[in-house]
Amino acid sequence: MSNEIFSVLGLFDSAQRMTDAIPLVRQKVAGRLEAYTPYPVHGIEKLLVQRKSPVAGMTFIMGLIGAISGVVFEMWANGVDYPLVTMGKPYLSWEAFVPIMFEVAVLFACFTAGLGMLLLLNRLPFFRHPMLHARSMPLITRDRFALAVEADGRPLDVAAVSDALRAAGAESIEIVENLAAPGLLSPRFLFTALLAIGLACMVSGYITYWGIKLFPKSIPVVHMLDQPKLDPQRESAFFKDGFGMRMPVAGTISRGHLPYTVKDEIAAEVLSNPLPRTPEVLKNGRQDYMTYCSVCHGILGDGKASLTAAYGAKPSSYHTQTMRDLPDGRIFHVITSGKSTMPSYAAELLEGERWGTVHYVRALQRAYDAKDEDIPEESSR
Amino acid sequence: MSKFGASRLLISGMVLGLVGMLASGWGFGWERFWGNWLLWTLFLLTIGLGCLFIVGLEHVVGAKWSVPVRRIPERLSGLVLLMSPALLLALLSLQYLYPWTRPESLENPLIAGKAAWLNVPFFVIRLLICIVLWLISYRILVTGSFRQDWQRDLRFNVRARRMGPAYMVIFGITISIVAFDWISGLEPTWYSDIFGVYLFAGTFLAALAATSLLLIHQLANRRLAGVGPDHVYNLGGFMFAFTVFWGYIGFAQFLLMWYANLPEEVFWYKERLEGLWLPIILVVAAFHFFVPFLALIPRDAKSNLRRLAWVSMLMLTAHWFDLYWMIMPAVGKSPQFGWMELSFAFFFVCLTLLWIRRALAQGADMPIGDPFLKEGLEFRL
Repeated sequence: MSNEIFSVLGLFDSAQRMTDAIPLVRQKVAGRLEAYTPYPVHGIEKLLVQRKSPVAGMTFIMGLIGAISGVVFEMWANGVDYPLVTMGKPYLSWEAFVPIMFEVAVLFACFTAGLGMLLLLNRLPFFRHPMLHARSMPLITRDRFALAVEADGRPLDVAAVSDALRAAGAESIEIVENLAAPGLLSPRFLFTALLAIGLACMVSGYITYWGIKLFPKSIPVVHMLDQPKLDPQRESAFFKDGFGMRMPVAGTISRGHLPYTVKDEIAAEVLSNPLPRTPEVLKNGRQDYMTYCSVCHGILGDGKASLTAAYGAKPSSYHTQTMRDLPDGRIFHVITSGKSTMPSYAAELLEGERWGTVHYVRALQRAYDAKDEDIPEESSR
Repeated sequence: MSKFGASRLLISGMVLGLVGMLASGWGFGWERFWGNWLLWTLFLLTIGLGCLFIVGLEHVVGAKWSVPVRRIPERLSGLVLLMSPALLLALLSLQYLYPWTRPESLENPLIAGKAAWLNVPFFVIRLLICIVLWLISYRILVTGSFRQDWQRDLRFNVRARRMGPAYMVIFGITISIVAFDWISGLEPTWYSDIFGVYLFAGTFLAALAATSLLLIHQLANRRLAGVGPDHVYNLGGFMFAFTVFWGYIGFAQFLLMWYANLPEEVFWYKERLEGLWLPIILVVAAFHFFVPFLALIPRDAKSNLRRLAWVSMLMLTAHWFDLYWMIMPAVGKSPQFGWMELSFAFFFVCLTLLWIRRALAQGADMPIGDPFLKEGLEFRL
């Protein structure tokens, strides 16, 4: 492993000699050519590199993919998944998508260019470049120009390469060996990587923690609470009377709502439930019952709930004969207007929701006092 | 064809064009005449101002690569001298094109609020100040450079480096004044703070395109020995970068107005995105941004003379149509093309060609007195 050859160096005493040697060497040997010089030699990269780098094309394609995925994601988010009217524009307005499309394209392209350079062109990751241990390195940093034929994955015919370099005018030859590089799975690499990740987590964690603690106003989320909109129950300088919440205009009612004019329970007896007894209605009624009624009346409707002891009132059970005989309209009236300590639920439940709850109360009563004929055929045997 | 013959042909072309212009102005109305006059004057003037900006910018940053090609923008900035009288002449258009000059316009509160800025005396004063500042800048930056050819006076470089930054400021303010006064003043109820920057972006691109075209012409005639692909690459790179700048600024102006949808802003876009005006701005967007951006992406394309030549021609076309799209909707309801437009094109194209023949004889082909010329010729990427 340690004897693997990285490259064969030929040293030249001028930039011109080395530049002239490049085509001569290329004729005779295959392999990657690389030059090491004390100062930049203009135009040499055109002679050294035969294949164009794939990074440019990759960057372009990834930029395109970024642009397309940006637009597609915005169209999906704004038009399909969570359609939200913004400034009265259509859901799919291309104008609004352009800045994000641009940013995502730039992001993808930058990452591709940066990572492509590091991984493909610079052939990272490795820890030490073998050239740093070459004996000629002090000369190269001073006044010598080195042309290297690199192994590039294939074994190198050292004798042939040395001859080619000498024939092209190299004054001396050095064979540079590959150091036993710590591989990606070596304990040393893994240890270093884990240590680096751990340190990075610690540092960023501390910075975040203290950043939030010391500068709470710096968090953008906090500012989202601070909006110019009008919150419920707040005053508003906009209206003369200073109330943020408004009364309905005199003589009007809300759309889809009729005023409830029934005065007492007896008068309510004539009301009949307008909703059909469908599974959908019962499901919604159950939901509303569980939310608003069950805390006092119990989930079975028997008046036993955790809250009642603390509250000091004794809510009635539905499962008495009196309660079973009550007409729907009276139950509806009690939910709407309240009775003794029970408050009105007209603000919490719409009219239809109250009727749905009545259906569910009826279902509870029937389930509690089930007869044999209530049991479905197939499970009764 | 002999030189004398060509000049005579161009002069007779100009006379013919002028006759056509005046006759069609008489026939079709002076409003349309002055609209066309303004369009062509601003087109050529902005190219001149932009070229002076390139010259000033190179002095500001102390660029060495551009010294061998600096004579080209210097010669082209003579368009400022040619077009300043034409802009003064355009003062006659005030009563035809600019609604704020009419006394009854003050009944509109939006125009009345701007009366401190939009009144004829201040308008003329601003124009005169602009022209004087341009002439001073031209004299120091360009005439000084021509004089250096035979005087070999090194103090010019010091003066130019002092004048350069001053011209940056002068250019920034005067181009905004040109944009606000002459273009957005056509519809005085409109608001856009970024409008000056938008005109600047198009101006700078057009100036780079004109410089590149003339550079390619000079290279084809072998009049710039020592100027190689590396110099051309820098110009191409500049152009590439500023295509995105133009797109960014143009779209930013549009996006903000589209989002806010305020009547005093959005009407300007509404009338320009309807009917035949829409294809015009689409062509401008394609020629100013999409096509040049894609065409100049590859590294080699930026120093490819053939590609740079047609990209430059697209850019100049785009700048003309950009101004057309900004100015003409305020003059006529829909795009018009007839004898008048043909005569104007004839006159101004002949005038420009005639002027370029003279400008190309002005001074040496390179600033031979500049001490940095040698360093500039040795420039490699």
